[in-house]
Amino acid sequence: MTVLDTPLKPNINCQNSFHVGAQTAWEMLREEDMLTRITTSCADLDNILGGGISCKEVTEIGGVPGIGKTQLGYVFAILGFCINLELLLLLRGNKNYRIQLAVNVQIPAHYGGLGGKAIYIDTEGSFMVERAMQIAEACVKDMLEYDGLLRKDSQARQLKMQPKELLGNIFYFRICSYTEQIAMINFLEKFVSEHKDVKVVIIDSITLHFRQDFDDMALRTRVLSGMALKLMKLAKTFSLAVVLLNQVTTKYSEGSFHLSLALGDSWSHACTNRVILYWNGNERCAYIDKSPSLPSASAPYSVTAKGIRSLASNSKRLKMMQALD
Amino acid sequence: MLAHFYQGQQALLLKTGCSNPTSNELLFFFFGSVEDLLIHDLYVLVALAEQQSNSERLKQGITQVLSIIDGQHQPWLNGMDLLEDAQQNKHLLSTGCERIDFLLQGGLREGHLTELVGPSSSGKTQVCLQVASNVAKEYSGSVVFFDTGNSFSPKRIEQILGQLSDHSDIESNKILEQVMSNIVCHPVFDIFTLLDVLHQLESKLRSQVYGGSKVRLLIVDSISSLITPILGGSSAQGHALMIAAGFLLKELAHRHNLSAVVTNHMVGGEGGTLKPALGESWRSMPHVRLHLFRDSKSSICNMSILRHPYIVSAFAHMIL
Repeated sequence: MTVLDTPLKPNINCQNSFHVGAQTAWEMLREEDMLTRITTSCADLDNILGGGISCKEVTEIGGVPGIGKTQLGYVFAILGFCINLELLLLLRGNKNYRIQLAVNVQIPAHYGGLGGKAIYIDTEGSFMVERAMQIAEACVKDMLEYDGLLRKDSQARQLKMQPKELLGNIFYFRICSYTEQIAMINFLEKFVSEHKDVKVVIIDSITLHFRQDFDDMALRTRVLSGMALKLMKLAKTFSLAVVLLNQVTTKYSEGSFHLSLALGDSWSHACTNRVILYWNGNERCAYIDKSPSLPSASAPYSVTAKGIRSLASNSKRLKMMQALD
Repeated sequence: MLAHFYQGQQALLLKTGCSNPTSNELLFFFFGSVEDLLIHDLYVLVALAEQQSNSERLKQGITQVLSIIDGQHQPWLNGMDLLEDAQQNKHLLSTGCERIDFLLQGGLREGHLTELVGPSSSGKTQVCLQVASNVAKEYSGSVVFFDTGNSFSPKRIEQILGQLSDHSDIESNKILEQVMSNIVCHPVFDIFTLLDVLHQLESKLRSQVYGGSKVRLLIVDSISSLITPILGGSSAQGHALMIAAGFLLKELAHRHNLSAVVTNHMVGGEGGTLKPALGESWRSMPHVRLHLFRDSKSSICNMSILRHPYIVSAFAHMIL
């Protein structure tokens, strides 16, 4: 996967590349086929996201408290090392269905595969290790099952991955003030260049420390937009996915109150994709609010003991088994 | 220009034989910089030169320096020259969307700086991608896309081109490759990189080293995310950089007959209404300002003209 290993290689083929990192649209299209996406482990969500969260982009996920933003954060941290797979070939009949799983069963020597690690930046203090452990265990169990299904002909390879190892792949930082947040984001570039196997950066939540105690609104706008640019640069340079979890606030416009993401209009352009999580009756739903290439769509999901799953929880397994027959 | 001029000045002094230290020192004593030379009253200069021992050489030096300065500015143009230039060189580029072309009476004009302003997810990037695809395809022109938010999506461009063409499968892949190779995406994440790349582009275009097809379109998506981190505060440097970027884009557009498009976001104004970001000084910078807004959660985008050199305000609705 040399594309992901060498960030921004100078482009000798392109005549017009007098700037390092410039690429033609055709080259980017070829590369995009090789880029991995990080699954949310919920098939419906993956569908509307075009396969999952894409690397090289900043995705903002916002929603009311209790909707499952932090759960999604856990899921990305643990599944941060997904790779395209043989499953794609298996599900060749159904073009709309592109699951990418964290099944890492290539060669025992390359145990850990791409070894994608995750950086989790916690500003709220809502990271609970027990919950992450629960999700990691469920993930390992799932992988073992799919491993068994995939390799039912050949000898079953023992997947020796422990949940503890999955947790060991998460770098956790706790931030207590906005200055620490700014310092952290400045430091991230150096950190990621030393740990090249980081594939996802999750910030939960990006808005907390900027919502109160800020007297100078103009300063806040400057700082936030500077931060947004740095995150964009990080995502592009190191080909990783940046996930920002955001809170909601009430906005009064056109005579009514409605919910919108915090930090105002100036922050709204700081992400490449935006997903809004909301309640639809008793169901949790996700809606694509902003994306350069995906159509607007919404999909339901549920939060279970295993993490995030589709509403009809057995559908993924059923489709897998149908495809294998 | 200062460094360039100093080189010229040195060469000039050597050429006129003023290489002896005294007169060099004198010239540099009088004018430490080009600005000083230009500000000085010419008669006072000559009078000062008269008082020196090698006054003839100094006067020669002054006249030659002044003629070099004269050569730096643009030639005077009259109305007929401008009209001819506009008719022959400044064509209209169709955007690929009929409604927008109708609104703009033909499309984007080369030589103009067009600004797309609108709230988040109102379709600004989509319009940029659409125009880029259309220009690369219809006019076989090169498109330079400066992307600040990683929103350049080659897949979307492929989709748009797929809609525009009716060729068979075998040809279409080759054509697709050709067209998409003409669209170059530069990721830029700060204003200095943008200015740097624009300067490089300008020098390439000027010396006509730029290989491949002619550059027809320049898109900066979005310029506001580059400028907002530096605008305001105690120093006026951000403001100066914003104006410099605007002028550079306009100069590139005019001199090299290309169309420049920038996108801008909106901020809250008085009474809760939205207004374009970047303030009052930026308002007069673009030639054409187009306002996009989308009815909540529908796929119909509305575009209206906020400012145009010769079209009165108008609306258009379209589906992106």
